[in-house]
Amino acid sequence: MIRWWPVFGLKRRLTEQKEYISPVDLRQPKTGIFNRSLFVYIVDVGSSNALNFEISALESPQYNIHRFGIFLTDSPRHADVLLILGRPVTKMLEPLKETISQLPKPFYTVTIDDHPGQPGLNGYPELPNHIAALTGVPSPGQILGLLLDIAKTKRKES
Amino acid sequence: MKVLIGIVATPENERLFILDKGKPVLTAVNGKNPEETFGNYSILKQHLSKINDESMKGPGVFKFRYGPVTAGVREAGCFYLYTYGEKILRATIDISWKQRGIAKAMLDKSPETALTMAERVCSNFAMSHSVAFSRAVEMAVDISPSLQTKNWRTLLIESERIYNHLYVIYKLASAAAQKVLAAHISALFEEALRLNERLSGSRYLMNINSLGKLNRIPEISNIEKIADKYLAVAKQFTKLYKHSLRNYNYLDRLHSAGTLTAEQAEELGLTGPTLRACGVVDGLNDTTEHLISLPVITKKEGDALARMEVRAEEIVNSCHYLADHLRASDSWYDATEKDTKSPNANGTGYAVVNSPSGAMGYYVEVNDNKMQRVDIFTPSYPGMYAVSQGLEDLIFTDFPFVFESFGVHFADAAI
Repeated sequence: MIRWWPVFGLKRRLTEQKEYISPVDLRQPKTGIFNRSLFVYIVDVGSSNALNFEISALESPQYNIHRFGIFLTDSPRHADVLLILGRPVTKMLEPLKETISQLPKPFYTVTIDDHPGQPGLNGYPELPNHIAALTGVPSPGQILGLLLDIAKTKRKES
Repeated sequence: MKVLIGIVATPENERLFILDKGKPVLTAVNGKNPEETFGNYSILKQHLSKINDESMKGPGVFKFRYGPVTAGVREAGCFYLYTYGEKILRATIDISWKQRGIAKAMLDKSPETALTMAERVCSNFAMSHSVAFSRAVEMAVDISPSLQTKNWRTLLIESERIYNHLYVIYKLASAAAQKVLAAHISALFEEALRLNERLSGSRYLMNINSLGKLNRIPEISNIEKIADKYLAVAKQFTKLYKHSLRNYNYLDRLHSAGTLTAEQAEELGLTGPTLRACGVVDGLNDTTEHLISLPVITKKEGDALARMEVRAEEIVNSCHYLADHLRASDSWYDATEKDTKSPNANGTGYAVVNSPSGAMGYYVEVNDNKMQRVDIFTPSYPGMYAVSQGLEDLIFTDFPFVFESFGVHFADAAI
């Protein structure tokens, strides 16, 4: 007989009440259009995989990004923000441009260069509406802080 | 048992990099035909970036591309799937979308610089890459790390195993639409990453290991609390795991998905949880330096469910192992450091470590304190062959169970 899961979900409160701070300032003025919801599409163009893991950690109940109206989407055509992980390898430059061309307007692009200065990788092509550039491997809380800044959402404080 | 980890080839000769009962060995081919002994010899020798690339045509056969930009496989990698109706006839995997040329970029760099680059090959295996590289260089330049360093490296690899295995099980639960299980496992995954940070200063255990030593020793005042946290993770995970084994919706999705026989796994040169899920005891645990090695977990079925079970039991074992040894770690501080003689500027070295997904090997040549040659052998490369083989004759909805259960990564396969 199948045992139902919700009994586990109700027993513990996992979501944290914290203030999430972005490590960088936005590079251009933000629009208020994403105030209530922000859909993010992730594209990995050559990261060392730590960023993919951090995005998975961002989906954990501790951060519970849905409470802020932030969602990861499965298609660039539904996205408000393109989150670009890593610095591009040569072969990924064209797929990156193709992905950008699929974004509906208005949109923003955000880059995270996990290992700046690593040889063998290209610079970013010209990115439209490049609102933020992070370096290193930011924590999920820092990524969430940046997304909250873009969404212009008031942060929950502990 | 003997496993061929890699081939170290020069224009003049070819040497086989073998793991023999937990000991890495480099042997010359000497006119023998290695293909007869090792089924994966031709795979490693050709080292193709397009795996299982053979076109398939026929009435009703449809080829479609999945990747390199898709939400289903977030990493930059590409699958070409040949299908007939729902059935997958063949899966070609193209790993070249993530080729960053890191091994080549390490050349002419100092061993210290190359070590930081080794950690970036695949950052979720940063500790395994770092330890395998540093052990190989230490052998080449004749450095003997202290007992304390060896013990900490062993523990940090176990903590890498915990979060990687949790990640795989989280992905499997998500793919099977087990939202509550997935949410709880992902909470434990985040908890494990935070424990890494408390232990080493980095969520991915980066920049703590160095050549012959650790850059910093974890603070002893926190150790007791961290050990308790690992036990709490084990307890919570055990509860969830036992419950998941009663959930037929979950089990049915994993059962019989991507089944490999022991013969197929050995033929592909697989190691780690994938091989152990086929009932084969590998010698990888014997690569552990100094500390007592963990018991080897095996299952017989060789499918995605068996691979998940092996990983689940390893998580619990590793948590208890970490908690026990962390509590004993204060005694290591009495260990006398060996006299540090000046290292050689030249030499050749090789090493294998037990990474979360299998054998991770490095072969290095150091000349005048610069890296002259670096060969990296990762578990994800043969693992991609296993994914390709495992997908055959299944339907597309089984794709995530097969891919995620092998715990392979494009960053690790495409160096």
